[in-house]
Amino acid sequence: MAAVESTIEQVKQIDVDKYKYGFETDIESVRAPKGLDEDTIRYISARKSEPEWMLQWRLDAYERWRSMTEPTWARVHYPKIDFEDLYYYSAPKSTEGPKSLDEVDPELLRTYEKLGIPLREQAVLAGVQGAPRVAVDAVFDSVSVVTTFKDELKKAGVIFCSISEAVREYPELVQKYLGSVVPKSDNFYASLNSAVFSDGSFVYIPEGVRCPMELSTYFRINDMQTGQFERTLIVADKGSYVSYLEGCTAPMRDENQLHAAVVELVALDDAEIKYSTVQNWYPGDKDGKGGIYNFVTKRGDCRGDRSKISWTQVETGSAITWKYPSCILRGDDSRGEFYSIAISNGRQQVDSGTKMIHLGKNTSSRIISKGIAAGYSDNTYRGLVSAHRKATNARNFTQCDSLLIGNNCGAHTVPYIEAKTSTAHFEHEATTSKISDDKLFYCMQRGLSEEEAVTLIVNGFVRDVLQQLPMEFMAETQKLIGISLEGSVG
Amino acid sequence: MTVAVMKTKAEQSFAEGFSEVQEKLPGSTAVRAIREEAAQRFAELGLPHRRIEEWKYTDLRNQVKDALPPRSGEKVAMTIADVIVALGPLAHVDAHRVVFVNGSHRPELSSPGGLAGVNIQSLASALETAEGGNAAIAGIASQHSDAVMALNTAYMSDGAVVQVEAGAALDKPLMLVHIRAGKAPCFAAVRNVIEVGAKASARIVEAFVSLPGAAGDGQINTVTQVNVGEEAVVTHVKVAADAGEGVTHLSNWMSRIAKSAEYRGFQLTQGVNLARNQIRIDFDGEDAKLDLSGVFLGRGSDHIDTTLVVDHAVPSCESRELFKGVLDGNARGIFQGKIIVQQAAQKTDGKQMSQALLLSENAEFDSKPELEIFADDVVCGHGATCAELDKDLMFYCQSRGIPAEIAKVLLIESFIGEAVDQIDDEAIGEAVMAFARGWLS
Repeated sequence: MAAVESTIEQVKQIDVDKYKYGFETDIESVRAPKGLDEDTIRYISARKSEPEWMLQWRLDAYERWRSMTEPTWARVHYPKIDFEDLYYYSAPKSTEGPKSLDEVDPELLRTYEKLGIPLREQAVLAGVQGAPRVAVDAVFDSVSVVTTFKDELKKAGVIFCSISEAVREYPELVQKYLGSVVPKSDNFYASLNSAVFSDGSFVYIPEGVRCPMELSTYFRINDMQTGQFERTLIVADKGSYVSYLEGCTAPMRDENQLHAAVVELVALDDAEIKYSTVQNWYPGDKDGKGGIYNFVTKRGDCRGDRSKISWTQVETGSAITWKYPSCILRGDDSRGEFYSIAISNGRQQVDSGTKMIHLGKNTSSRIISKGIAAGYSDNTYRGLVSAHRKATNARNFTQCDSLLIGNNCGAHTVPYIEAKTSTAHFEHEATTSKISDDKLFYCMQRGLSEEEAVTLIVNGFVRDVLQQLPMEFMAETQKLIGISLEGSVG
Repeated sequence: MTVAVMKTKAEQSFAEGFSEVQEKLPGSTAVRAIREEAAQRFAELGLPHRRIEEWKYTDLRNQVKDALPPRSGEKVAMTIADVIVALGPLAHVDAHRVVFVNGSHRPELSSPGGLAGVNIQSLASALETAEGGNAAIAGIASQHSDAVMALNTAYMSDGAVVQVEAGAALDKPLMLVHIRAGKAPCFAAVRNVIEVGAKASARIVEAFVSLPGAAGDGQINTVTQVNVGEEAVVTHVKVAADAGEGVTHLSNWMSRIAKSAEYRGFQLTQGVNLARNQIRIDFDGEDAKLDLSGVFLGRGSDHIDTTLVVDHAVPSCESRELFKGVLDGNARGIFQGKIIVQQAAQKTDGKQMSQALLLSENAEFDSKPELEIFADDVVCGHGATCAELDKDLMFYCQSRGIPAEIAKVLLIESFIGEAVDQIDDEAIGEAVMAFARGWLS
């Protein structure tokens, strides 16, 4: 019964009605002028001392974006966003980039300490003995503050740095892969991101290398009225492996803030990328005031034969989530996986899912999605599984389960299944139910309160996905599930 | 960015054709006004295209090239023997027949009247009276009016208006037979309005068939509106099996199920080049039961689309859907099924399954099973699969001396049999299976 005890312990620790990461860091920042035009883009590009080709790429994207209209097909409702009323760039004020951790503003370090993100390598090393080490790229508003374990990674040949640095240091790699999975004209938010992306992480794993440690990026929105537009690019060369974690938080504010990120993954022959996200942006208060609009384009390209990309996501935050991590299974025998837990409470709206596009021969994919809706929230799974005419022997298994807690929320499933070849074998299964009274009674009869019982049952419901998460995230996620569902019972 | 959309040839012909035939179509002044309004609505909407989410996989703007002329007035000479030939296996079902040819009622081909507890009228004559017109137009069909429905409202020439009295039990099935005949290809818009009173029971078959030697092309737009009264039990089967090679079949079923009633629906679609079967079910009272199933068989360039919406608005109802498709050649099958459970509909039990068998490399199956759920105390689920014939099963049959061709037919028969078995009338079920067998061989 250890699991039960620890769950209860975790639930107890959580402050009632409080988003744990809702504090604000008082730090001076430099911003681009409000609004978006070519000058803003030039400003961002200049701040980052980017080469001319990068600026041109951004301007092209901006041109495309201007001719696009906001997508409205998702099952989410929000007032129209005024893209002129946003700051597109905000960075903690410092004259030069910090040479070492000692030069980083102590206020910033304290922020990450409060968030529980280890930035001091020694601290990490000295901390928990035997615990797996994680290299972190910390992104604060629009810029990457620090990247840890860089030297050690370098020894293995792994490049892990902020994307701004990569543009300067590894232009040939960036030019080759940036926009090759999510083109700059892909969709409204991806184009916007392409035009104004300010930072993010870049990872390159050379041929045959198994990345010696977990890589991780931690995103934090701090400044007011800013949008965060980060871009992540991960390239796994032939026969390599990398596991990557992403976490995010933001202060509690009454206004809605925009987060439009793009993540591109490229897996060449025999490479494997495991991408895990724990998304915990501020979800807004119980009446739906404030919160982050999370409009994200994530796509992985299994470009090489026998390559594999696996997405695992835990979505608990954000006022609105609009996100479909996808896999293009281009290489023969490639494999895509998607494991998701999406929890919505209060007035949150989630429209998330995946796309598995089978193009190569003998490709396979697996989708496990667990949606939990409570309060007045709406939780939609939207997914596409398609097999191209030449994708012989494509295989897919999809399971989407939804759990409803309370009678004011909605759970929806919108899968698209398209088989253009007879050799495709697709199976799709979806169920929706509530926590049965029997299960609740069983737990409560053994002394658990109703809320604890719900948390326990939900943890069981999402176990399939939880098991896919790296160790470091598992505990945090279990705790998160507790927070997210608080107040949803009774 | 808004772009003025050019009207396609078909859209123009449908719009212009209406003003030509308007005068000849049956109906009182009130009905005429409604027809005009519908024609106007169609002119505004145009044919549905793939930018409309519900029509994502079936682009009528692209696939319906031209409008065929409506010929409700012209009479094709036919005998009862012809009707039996056209009906094929369905002729063996002992039923009370009401026959329509090219969208016009043919009393001389129908069974003579006198079915106890039932009042049957032709739509054309019902539309002449205010009461009949109301029943045909003001029902649920008008609430979900898309372009295809509007086209039907504008052009509908005939159909059956059936009223089963409360408590009546029909001793044999009522068969509404729509035959396509004659050398000239034509467009027929028909509407059947079926009202089953409380505690009554009825079996209704709608057949859309063609007479051998009929034109290869044809367009059918059909609407069937069914009201199932409290505690009534209705079996409703539609067979669309045409011999033509260029037939478009656009159909709408609109059924409303009252408290504690039971509604069993089944649709067979085969030999139709372009089919769109839309089904909308509304639960109107608690403890009602729905059992909906269907089989679609496509080959060549057939395109068969089944789109259904089951709306649970009230508590404690049960719905089951099972659809099976077999696709060969370049055929494309589509299944879109949406189960809506509204906030009030607690204790809903909904299950949906769609399965397709792809027999050739170029066959395609697209499915979109949707759940839209706003109530928490529900058990809902859906499943969708698609695959080729199981090689192990084929091997098993062949290893027991069954030739490959026969083994294939056997396996397909058992595959679709599961759906056909849902029909709770043996004779009708056998006829449906015979149709499918005919298609298979």
